[in-house]
Amino acid sequence: MSLSDLIVMILGVALTIMVFSYILGDRLFFGIATHILIGVSAGFLTLVTIQKVILPLLVAPLSSPAAPGFLLALVPMTLSILLILMLFRRGVQAGAIPLALLSGVLAALAIIGVTRGTLAPQLLSIFSRFDPAQLIQEAEPQWSSLFEAMMILLGVISVLFVFHHQGKTKTGGVVRPVFLEGIGSIGQIFIGITFGALFVGLFSTALIALINSLSDIITFLKLWF
Amino acid sequence: MKRILPLIVGGLSALTVLAAVFLPGQGSSVLTVLLNWVIVLAAITFLVAVASLALTHLRFIITGKKGFLLSLTLLFSFAVTLVFGFLRGVEDPVFLKWIGAVVRPIESALLGLVALVMMSAALKIFRERGWSALTVSFGVSAVVFLVLGLGFLQNLNLPVLNGVIRFVEGLPMIGARGLLIGIAIGLLMMAFRVIFGMEGPGND
Repeated sequence: MSLSDLIVMILGVALTIMVFSYILGDRLFFGIATHILIGVSAGFLTLVTIQKVILPLLVAPLSSPAAPGFLLALVPMTLSILLILMLFRRGVQAGAIPLALLSGVLAALAIIGVTRGTLAPQLLSIFSRFDPAQLIQEAEPQWSSLFEAMMILLGVISVLFVFHHQGKTKTGGVVRPVFLEGIGSIGQIFIGITFGALFVGLFSTALIALINSLSDIITFLKLWF
Repeated sequence: MKRILPLIVGGLSALTVLAAVFLPGQGSSVLTVLLNWVIVLAAITFLVAVASLALTHLRFIITGKKGFLLSLTLLFSFAVTLVFGFLRGVEDPVFLKWIGAVVRPIESALLGLVALVMMSAALKIFRERGWSALTVSFGVSAVVFLVLGLGFLQNLNLPVLNGVIRFVEGLPMIGARGLLIGIAIGLLMMAFRVIFGMEGPGND
């Protein structure tokens, strides 16, 4: 093992113990470890942003005035200056225009992404379950396929009704119609099943990470004892 | 005027993108230029946010606010990364090795900590919310999928059991589908609110 590998190992074990000190109720070492993570991540992302985005897309076109992209690059430069002015108390309002452009384009991209990437495929996938070619084979109804299709439709509709909070107000409280409460309860069961499965997936991943961190500490200790 | 100009800029930019996407061929060059601007603006916004973070922590150190040691740690690690990265380059293997040496153990340990926090949170949900359709189905589902995750039942190779397992494994997809559609509809509504100026930077 080289000296740099040894230093990397000691650093890793020290940082792992600092994070795990949270279990013992310590906040200082845990805070130091998380602030190191924030500092290093922010520094690294700043470097990547400057080298991969700002230099090629903003500085490079502006450095050659004869190039066709020069005039086009003046727009983001002006808007960038307005954004930077937001760092100063008097310039907070200046950032409204670039932020409006950013949010407008992102909202439009969200509409395109959501309709084409989520809503259309998900709705088509539900309706395709009711395709007669799937439900009837050799003139015989496929009851299991029909049951599955109905269950998916009921599940999706009931999950959507869980978040339906409109209702008549009676003495300040919101009262939903009985049938909405019933459908909502079915939806809660489906959401519970989904969250349970997600919980197990996340828990398994986190447990593997915990075992990995503990095994790193044990490997380090075995080096010395 | 302070509110109207951002509203016009936001609405026009959104309509331009939508027109460029739904009218292919004519708007692709406009879309490329607009997306390049947005990429640059998003990058600058991120840098402004990082600068704001650094300035806030610098202020904490100068005023000697409680916990300034943590601010000092953050600024020191930020500065060292920045200087080291500028000198060696972002893709330098030695630089990446040291970044990984710091980031990987902390992230791994934090994820390990999540396992313990999740376990206590799962138990707390029954205490806080009581027995309801949501909590009971959550608990039963977690136990069932934990058992299925072991792979023991699948190894028995019983055709009827395999059919049941396949059916049970498909159940979370129903709820996930409903949640996805709900989130998508919510996002769509939010996007329209931004375009029509009901939400966003121009709306204080």
